[in-house]
Amino acid sequence: MMPCYKFYYFDARGRGELCRYALHAKQRDFEDIRLGGDKWQNFKPSTPFGQMPVLDVDGKKLAQSGAIARYLARELDLAGKNCWEQAACDQYMELADDMFTELVKSFFEKDEAKKAEVMKNLNDVVLPKFLALFESSLNRNGGCYFVGDGLTIADLAVYSAFDTPLKRCPTLLDSFPKLKAQRAKIEGLPKLGEYIKNRKPTDI
Amino acid sequence: CTDFSNHSPLLKIATMPSYKLYYFDVRGRGELIRYVFLAAGKEFDDIRFTSEVWKEHKPKAPYGQAPFLEIDGKPLAQSNTIARYLAREFGLAGKDSWEQAKIDELLDLSEDMFKEVGKPIFEKDEEKKKELLKNLTDVVYPKFVQLFEKSLTANGGKFFVGNELTLGDLAVYCAFDTPLKSSPNLMDDCPNLKAQRSMVEGLPKLAAYLKTRKDSHI
Repeated sequence: MMPCYKFYYFDARGRGELCRYALHAKQRDFEDIRLGGDKWQNFKPSTPFGQMPVLDVDGKKLAQSGAIARYLARELDLAGKNCWEQAACDQYMELADDMFTELVKSFFEKDEAKKAEVMKNLNDVVLPKFLALFESSLNRNGGCYFVGDGLTIADLAVYSAFDTPLKRCPTLLDSFPKLKAQRAKIEGLPKLGEYIKNRKPTDI
Repeated sequence: CTDFSNHSPLLKIATMPSYKLYYFDVRGRGELIRYVFLAAGKEFDDIRFTSEVWKEHKPKAPYGQAPFLEIDGKPLAQSNTIARYLAREFGLAGKDSWEQAKIDELLDLSEDMFKEVGKPIFEKDEEKKKELLKNLTDVVYPKFVQLFEKSLTANGGKFFVGNELTLGDLAVYCAFDTPLKSSPNLMDDCPNLKAQRSMVEGLPKLAAYLKTRKDSHI
């Protein structure tokens, strides 16, 4: 009997989208529950650590976006073929998260002068570093997938990490052909492609 | 992962991988990895260097950062990735996928706290630094000790996940190393967390290491 998945997060991409990508990529049914305001406040006490996202698996709750993404990857056969490939996937998830953390800084900085500084660092230092790093990683693995020879959570994690940067700068991947092609490939997956095409745009 | 337990001892020794951990001579993002080796009783080369010597090792690092681990020469980067990989190899990753996920939860929560702990250390502005330190002691530490105490208690009070030592226990232990230096009474209202800490400190190889470890501020 397949377990029943209920995924709880805000109505945004943020730290929830990667988990949604994994479920759609494998065409797995789940309840995509989006909460805000009072509904979120009412749900909060029942979460493991007072935060979202939360994955409810037949009534058992799992918190922390990375933990959920890794769990789903294992359950949905997106975690590589062996222990080493699982570690390789983890590596890319952590790197994507490092980049995401820098992005979050730029998004939440209120001081205008500091924000300008953070944005400049993001565009001049952070993004170029990660673009080069991910492009060369793809190249080293044959150009198609980040790990092994099939889709893994690593591919989805890197895809997800560039969602917001590409909104701000649509030509960001123009000098990175492998990354660009990998992105197009993910967008071509049946259920996932549909979801991405019809999804309501959000800032983050 | 491959199970060699049915092979002869000689073959076992011949097939045990060689591990070399490369990191600075501080706790930082390397200590949890060291804890995993020690708790599991596994041999490893604990290579520690200064910033100057780091320049020599940097080209070997997959993404130009430390820590990184060489397993029979194959490099692996990112501290939590390494910790997770070793935990799976050494039987500290829980009994099944769900327990592995519960351990990941704790690792990620510990990481959230670790990021807060790092903020005042790297803040240059003195006023902002004072503010961040105050926030740590008044808001961050109380919030996280309560979360961890609740989680530990919900699992019976002894181990964080399942009914034996896992990476989850080591990750939480490690996360409080620096906070307890500046706030030694941090866990006074958290009896289970306090007891769990003593339990981890009592593990044979870990106890010997902790006793002789050189002090570092992070």
